[in-house]
Amino acid sequence: MNGNLSCDECMERLDEFVDRELTDAEIREVRLHLEFCPPCEERYRFQAGFKRLVKVCCEQDKAPAALREKLQKILF
Amino acid sequence: MTTLVAVPDQRTDSAAFSEEALTHLDTLYRGALRLTRDPDRAQDLVQDTYVRALRYQHSYQPGTNMKAWLFAIMRNLFWDRFKGGRQEDVSLDDLGDFALYDTLKDTSAIPETEVLDRIAADEVVKAVEKLPPLHREVVLLVDVEGFSYKDAAQVIGIPIGTVMSRLHRARQQLQKQLYDYALESGIVPAERSA
Repeated sequence: MNGNLSCDECMERLDEFVDRELTDAEIREVRLHLEFCPPCEERYRFQAGFKRLVKVCCEQDKAPAALREKLQKILF
Repeated sequence: MTTLVAVPDQRTDSAAFSEEALTHLDTLYRGALRLTRDPDRAQDLVQDTYVRALRYQHSYQPGTNMKAWLFAIMRNLFWDRFKGGRQEDVSLDDLGDFALYDTLKDTSAIPETEVLDRIAADEVVKAVEKLPPLHREVVLLVDVEGFSYKDAAQVIGIPIGTVMSRLHRARQQLQKQLYDYALESGIVPAERSA
């Protein structure tokens, strides 16, 4: 069994790898490729960093206290 | 007799439902804020979402993904209210195979990941809010709230493949906008003119 992915195959799976959508076997294949391919590894780090950036920046807002109180009255 | 017994049980169930629903308030508010782009409208949307959730709580199956269930209610309300129920797929500019990583690698002397560190949070939020709503909601669900493709597909009511393609296009669009910002703000030196 030859589990080695080409760079193209690895990059095709990058979105799903970053989003944790691959099966365990597929994850192992991608990891193995990244371990031995610095250019792909660098691109992976960038894509993962970009996803993290979007999350962190959009996660900063909290619901206003007044809204929480209002909902508590409605819900309980 | 059975009804007498059932009443306190129902009340407990309802309280447990409300309690769990409230743990998702920040998530829903953030989502509402990004969808409506307006704090007042966001509060209204969230409140209406909870009112509707309470009314339809019997249709929620305990132990399933309540965050996804609430999000589905909210995005349907959003589309009904603000978009007249029409979920038109606004096509994004065709960016070809634009990828920020490649562009930075070709043009910038700064390490690519360092550029990400220099981008202001406000600009990222602005770029997300500029996406057409159908693309924006996929980014919110998958990137911000960590939904799986499958859960996001269920919330929106589209196939998983559509989630993936919208997400890919949305990220590409975000990267292009942030690249333009990085150029304008001098984070990335302007390309050497040909």
